Amino acid sequence: MFELHGRDGLASSEVPPSNSRAIPRWFRGILVLAIIYLFLVGVSSLESGIKVMGADTQERLFSSVSNPIVGLFIGVVGTVLVQSSSASTSLIVGLVASGALGLDQAVPMIMGANIGTTVTNTLVSLGHVRQSQEFRRALSAATVHDFFNLMAVTILLPFELLTGRISWLASRTAEILTGSGGSEWKSPIKAWVKHPVGWLKDGLKQASLEDTSLGISMVVIGIIVVVVSLIAVTKNMKALIAERLEASMNRVLGRGGGLVAMVIGMLITISVQSSSITTSILIPMAAAGVISLRNIYPVTLGANVGTTITALLAALAASGSDALTIALVHTWFNVLGIVVLYGIPFLRPLPIRCAELLAELAVRRRSLAVGWVVSVFVIIPLLVIAIFR
Amino acid sequence: MVLSFFKKGESPLDRISHETVLMLGDARHSFDLASTALLAGADASAVSSDIRATDDRINAAEQRLRSELVVHIAVNGGDDIGVVMGYTLLLKKIERIGDQAKNILDLAEDGISLSGAPDIEEFLTRRQTISQMYVDAADILVSLDVDSARQFLDRSMEMNRECEQKIHDYMRSDEPGHWAVPRAVLHRYWKRIVANLAGIVTSAIEPIQSLDYTDNGSTDIVDD
Repeated sequence: MFELHGRDGLASSEVPPSNSRAIPRWFRGILVLAIIYLFLVGVSSLESGIKVMGADTQERLFSSVSNPIVGLFIGVVGTVLVQSSSASTSLIVGLVASGALGLDQAVPMIMGANIGTTVTNTLVSLGHVRQSQEFRRALSAATVHDFFNLMAVTILLPFELLTGRISWLASRTAEILTGSGGSEWKSPIKAWVKHPVGWLKDGLKQASLEDTSLGISMVVIGIIVVVVSLIAVTKNMKALIAERLEASMNRVLGRGGGLVAMVIGMLITISVQSSSITTSILIPMAAAGVISLRNIYPVTLGANVGTTITALLAALAASGSDALTIALVHTWFNVLGIVVLYGIPFLRPLPIRCAELLAELAVRRRSLAVGWVVSVFVIIPLLVIAIFR
Repeated sequence: MVLSFFKKGESPLDRISHETVLMLGDARHSFDLASTALLAGADASAVSSDIRATDDRINAAEQRLRSELVVHIAVNGGDDIGVVMGYTLLLKKIERIGDQAKNILDLAEDGISLSGAPDIEEFLTRRQTISQMYVDAADILVSLDVDSARQFLDRSMEMNRECEQKIHDYMRSDEPGHWAVPRAVLHRYWKRIVANLAGIVTSAIEPIQSLDYTDNGSTDIVDD
């Protein structure tokens, strides 16, 4: 209601609307669909580019990730670089679809992406570093996500390496969803994106690019299109559902945590295609003290599951059932993480306690927070990759 | 509850605006009850629990709406920061008005009753005018009509001048203290209430940086 006079004392009709609000909702909806199409074209371009490169180049590029620990940390670093697990997991789906990356190699990378995505809200929490109490609440709210995902990987990666049950579960689910038992599955979406990728390939060929250079160009363009289109989808979807998002967060505040908060976290993340958006919105709320760490926790877990929708979407534009399987590995990994760490009562408070302890220590020594981010998300992953590859 | 995510509802800021008007309605309810106890001889203990329950409701609403304003900024960024800060001030003013109704009740609970006093008609008229000002303030919050707001502010200044004059007169009255003091205190509370109502209306038409301040930089609410 205060828009009446605005910040310069102007009547609202005199204040020019900001760009983000000037776009009609129906147009923004169409824009989102167009950008999603572009995203699918990007995934398909990546897949085609890898295939064009040839087996030798593929072998040189991806031989190092045969070590699951290296794969895990490449997933972490790759996601930290693009600041989006949606982008990194979609790229992994494209690589699996191209055949350059096997399912076994991709599973640890997917898990690493889950760790890497938590860096965004942790960085957001560092913005509150000047006020001790705010910083304590913000950092614990952010790192509960870090600790949950680290613990989930600590438990589920060895379980997967020893038993292969997560990829088995994903594979069976893919079979049920596609109604087929092997790589003969053809996604209907794949046919829709075939032509733009063909035009891109022809255009690059006319620019005298061939074999490896053509493949690399298609991969680079594919990566750029995937990352940029995901940023654009997230921005537009956030604007489209801002009111519902806000109302949902208010419901979480009013009713507390639990399964409802988890489902709300999942729905918000599915809508905006980014767990970072969901979890980062929680940080200023936590810093201001309007939402408790215990209520944030389930929203974060819901966001973990919700973010897997993007890889599933990417799998629709990719060839073969392996792409869908690896996307489902992402989903199952997060669901099983919740079942184990949230479902078992004595494990449930562990991420909260670790987050509170880290925040307590970081309030006394602020450099610890920066050290946590730099070491967990950059130095340790790079060191492990350097040593083990 | 989860399914409501898919339903289009009232926009969060509209909802906060709606709740603010309800809070103002609650504050008026408390004011009317407390005034009835003091001016019409109603049993103070009988209305006390209602006034205190209403005050608790106003306080709870203020806290809830503050949280929702934080959520609004967290979701939408800084675009609406002026609106949010304006609401924060406005909510505090409504909460204060609720407290001031309790102050009037305190007078009645102390055994003061102006019922049957020779000057009761003047009190009842002023009380009725202030009670109507709650309604007018709420209407202005909904309509955002600048002309109505200006008229309201003129009326509130006039009312405050009258209260100030009455306080001045009571302070210098030859009547005994038990006669003059409750009257002076009541006018003091009324003056505060009217000043806060004016502050609420000002919130709707003034930019955030000049709320509660006059053009020369001094505060325009001398009395809260």
